[in-house]
Amino acid sequence: MPLRRKHRQTGEIGHQGKSPDHSPDSSEDKLFPDLQANLKKIRQTLGNSSDIGIREIPLGESQKNYIAILYTDGLADQNKIYESIMKTVAHLASKAAGQQDQQSSPFSDGKRLLAEISLYNQQSRTVNDFFTLFRSLLSGDTVILVDGSAEGLIAGTKGWKDRGVMETSAENVVRGPREAFSESFRTNTSLIRRKIKDPNLWLETMQIGRVTHTDVGIMYINGIANPEIVQEVRDRLNRIDVDSILESGYIEEFIQDTTFTPFPTIYNTERPDVIAAELLEGKVAILVDGTPFVLVVPALLISFLHASEDYYQRADISSFLRILRYLSVFISLLGPSIYIAVTTFHQEMLPTQLLFGLAAQREQIPFPAFVEALLMELTFEILREAGVRLPKNIGSAISIVGTLVIGQAAVEAGIISAAMVIVVAITAISSFVLPAFNMSIAFRMLRFPLMALAGSFGLFGIFVGVMALILHLCSLRSFGVPYMAPLAPLIPESQKDSILRLPHWLLSTRPRLLSKANRTRRPGNPPKKSRSEN
Amino acid sequence: MWKASVLGMKRIGALFVLFAFLTLLLSGCWNRRELNELAIAVAAGVDRVDDRYRLSVQVVVPGQVASKKAGGSQAPATLYTAEGDTIFEAARRMTQVSPRKIYFSHLRMFLIGESMARAGIAKFLDFLMRDHEFRTDFYLVTTKGATAEDTLKIMTPLESIPANKLFNSLQTSERVWSPSLTVTLDELINDLSNEGKHPILTGLEITGNREAGETPENVNAIKTDANLRFVGLAIFKVDKLIGWLNETESRGYRYIKGGVKSSVAFVPCGDKGKVTLETVRSHTKVTGKILGSKPEIEIKAFVEGNVGAVECRGLDLIQTKTIDELESKMEKKVEQLMKSVIAKVQEEYKVDIFGFGEAIRRSHPGFWRRHKEDWDDRFFPNLAVRIKVDYHIRRTGTLNNSFINDMKE
Repeated sequence: MPLRRKHRQTGEIGHQGKSPDHSPDSSEDKLFPDLQANLKKIRQTLGNSSDIGIREIPLGESQKNYIAILYTDGLADQNKIYESIMKTVAHLASKAAGQQDQQSSPFSDGKRLLAEISLYNQQSRTVNDFFTLFRSLLSGDTVILVDGSAEGLIAGTKGWKDRGVMETSAENVVRGPREAFSESFRTNTSLIRRKIKDPNLWLETMQIGRVTHTDVGIMYINGIANPEIVQEVRDRLNRIDVDSILESGYIEEFIQDTTFTPFPTIYNTERPDVIAAELLEGKVAILVDGTPFVLVVPALLISFLHASEDYYQRADISSFLRILRYLSVFISLLGPSIYIAVTTFHQEMLPTQLLFGLAAQREQIPFPAFVEALLMELTFEILREAGVRLPKNIGSAISIVGTLVIGQAAVEAGIISAAMVIVVAITAISSFVLPAFNMSIAFRMLRFPLMALAGSFGLFGIFVGVMALILHLCSLRSFGVPYMAPLAPLIPESQKDSILRLPHWLLSTRPRLLSKANRTRRPGNPPKKSRSEN
Repeated sequence: MWKASVLGMKRIGALFVLFAFLTLLLSGCWNRRELNELAIAVAAGVDRVDDRYRLSVQVVVPGQVASKKAGGSQAPATLYTAEGDTIFEAARRMTQVSPRKIYFSHLRMFLIGESMARAGIAKFLDFLMRDHEFRTDFYLVTTKGATAEDTLKIMTPLESIPANKLFNSLQTSERVWSPSLTVTLDELINDLSNEGKHPILTGLEITGNREAGETPENVNAIKTDANLRFVGLAIFKVDKLIGWLNETESRGYRYIKGGVKSSVAFVPCGDKGKVTLETVRSHTKVTGKILGSKPEIEIKAFVEGNVGAVECRGLDLIQTKTIDELESKMEKKVEQLMKSVIAKVQEEYKVDIFGFGEAIRRSHPGFWRRHKEDWDDRFFPNLAVRIKVDYHIRRTGTLNNSFINDMKE
C-alpha cells in the first residue's frame, strides 16, 4: 500500500505544453499595461538581484516607446539573445526609422516586434502573468515586455554552462557505453532519445518544488509500459508538495512504497544505456533536473544485482559473473556472522586442524568473537566512509592507516585475531561487487543485526534472521510489482534472465509483470533458422 | 491515514525498545563458548582402577600446535586424568585439574585400557553414545600390555599430537597393510547388539622404552626410544576382551570380512626365492547353508593383485601359464590365511567374531531362531567352512620378466 501523505491540490504542478501554468492567485498576478510598473514590480520581487539583466530600449520614431528585455545572466545564452531578439529589434528599429512618415502607434510597433521575434525563436510563447514570467526568467528564458501591453513574450534562450556528457563514475564497465547522464535535464532526455528513436518513447514533464520549480520528467515507452504503473507514477509525483527538489533522492523518498526497509524499492542509475534497457522492459524512468541519477520504477531486487555489462558480454561470461555476484551478496551479508556462530557455538563443524589453528590465534584475544567482529566491521565502515569523503590527493593516507594500523598492528598487538581480519576483509571486498551502491549499503547494514543474532544464538539465530529477512523481502512491493519477482512469485519464463543470463536470442519476451500488452522482443526461434512473423 | 501510520510507528518503536531490553536477559548467551575457553580433547582413554573408572584425556595446546614460531617450549598436548564411579562423573571431576571445560567433539581416538576391556566395555559406551558432544566418528582401540593412560603419555614425532599419529597410523595400516581395523563407536555398538557376531577392536601397544617415551627427548632423537604400534586384533566375547589375534591371523580375519583395499603377500618360487604380490582389491561373500541339520558356511573371496617383487630366476611372467600358477598359489595362500584364523578362533576362543551366525540368520532365520542360544557353544566350534578364493593377477608393475633371469650365473 502506498504511503499517503497530506497534500494540497494546487495548480503548481501541471503538464507543460498542455495548459499554461497559473498561480493560485492569478487575478492579482496579471501583468500591468504600464512597462515601468511591470519593471518596478519585477525589480522589487527579485530584490534587485545583480544577475538579472534588464535592458530598456527605446523604439519607434518618437523614441519614447520603450521595450524591455529581461534575462538572467549566466542562464541565458547571450548568443541566442543576440541572434533571435536583438537582431530583430535592430531590424525593426531601422525599418521604423525609414518609415518616419507613416505614423505608427507604439502599441502596434510592440505587437509587430513580438510577432517577429516569435517567428525567429521557436520556443517563444506569450505571457500575461508574473508567475510564469518569473519562472521562465529564472530558468534561462528571455522576457520581452512592451510598453502599453499587458502581454509579454517569452523567448527560449536557455543556455548555461554545464559539465557536458562525461564518463560514468559510479557504475563502471569493462565493455559498454562510457557516457553518463549529467546535471542538465535536456541533455539527459536527449541521451535517452538517441538510444530509442521510436515515436512511442514519451516524455511528460512537470515541475515540482514550490521554491525550486525543478523539472521532473516521466519517460516511458507507450505500448510497452504498463499504463497503470505510469498512472501511479503520475499520481504519486502529483502528490508531492515540498519546497525543494535538489536531487532525485528527494523524489525517491516521497514516492517509494515502503519507508521502513533497508532495501531500495526504486532503482537509480547514471547510465543512459541502463535506462534504455529498463524502458524497453516496460519500466518507467523519472528524470530530475540537476542530477545525473535517473530513477526507475518498478524496481526488483534482482535488478540491483544485475550490471549493464551482463548484456554486453557473452551469455556464459555474464552468467558466471552473476553467480559470482550472488555468492558475494551471501558472503557480504553472512560472512562475519557465520564465522562468529561457528567459532563460538558450533566448533564441532570445523575441521580438526582448522580448529587448532583458529584456537591458537584466539589464545590471547581479550574479546569475544562477536565484539571482535563488531570492532573490525565498524572500523572498516569508518575507513570506507572516510575514503569516500576524503579529497582524492590524500586518499592514499586511508589505505596506509587501514592496512598498517588496523590490519597488521591490531593482529600483532593481540587485540584482533588474524582470521577475523581475513573474514572482515573478504566481506568488505564482497560487498563492493554489487553494482548498486544503495543495495550494498543495505546488505552491509543488515550484517550487524545478523552478527548480534549469531553472537547470541549461533546458527539458529542466523537462520531466524535470514528467514525474517526473506519474509520481509517477499512482503515488499515496488509500484505494485512484487520485489522478489521473478523468484517469488516464481515466474519460470523469466528465469532466463534472473540468476543466469541466457543468450539474447532466447530472451524472446519481456517481463510479464511489467509489460502486459506488448511482450514479444523477438520471434522465439534461434537466429539461424528463418524468422517467421508472429 | 497519516495519524494511523504515526501510531504504527510508535508501536514499532515501543516493540523495538522492548526487544532491546529483552536482549539484556540474554547476556548469559546459552551454550556460548569462545575458542579460547575450550580444552579440545583429541584422545581419551579409560582404565579400570579398583572398580572405578580412570579417565585420561589428551588435550591439545593450540599455541604449540599451530603457532608460526615452531617448536615452542611446551608439549603440543597435555594429559588430564580423573577417577570416578561413573565415566561421566570422572569427566566432570576433570575440571578440578583442567582450567577449561573439556570439549569432546573433536575426539579422534578412544583408547580402552586392557584392564577395562577384560572387565567389560558396555557400561561406559552408553555415555559416549548419549552425550551430545561426542561424535561417533572417532576410532576405538584396545591397549595391549599397558594402561590407556600410559599409552597417551608417549610423545610422537612427525605428528606432534599423539592422537593424530594414532588416527593416521590406524587409517594407513588398515588401508595398505590390513592387519588392523578402524572401528567407530556406532560399528562397535552394532557388533555388541548384533546376534551372531562378536566385536573386534584393534590392539595398541607401546614399543621400546616406556619411561623415555614420555619425555621430549623421545622426539628429539632421530631414532625414537618409544613408539606406539598397532598389533593385531582383540577378540571380545560380547563386551569382554578374551584374547588376541596375531598379525597373520588378523590379516586372515580382514580377508574373511572382505574389503581389503591393499595388502602384500608372498608365495615361494624357485629354490629359496619369493614372489611378492600386492593385493589391490578384494570382495568377500559369506553365505550360510544348512546341510541336513548342520549349518555350513561358504566363503567366496574375489581378490585382485599385481606382481610386486620377484626374487627368483626363471620365472617367465610373459607366459599366461606362469601367471595362472602364481594365481593358484596365491589362492591357496589366502585360503590358508583364512583357515588358520578360523581354526584358531574355533578351537581357542569359541566366539563367532566373523559374523557366521549372522550369515545363517539371514539365510535361514528359522534355524537361527531355534539355535541362536547355543550357537557359540554348540555350532560355531564345529562349523564347517568352505572357502573358495578367486585370485586374479592384473599387472606386473613396470617390468615384465625380472632382470634376475638374465643375470650371470
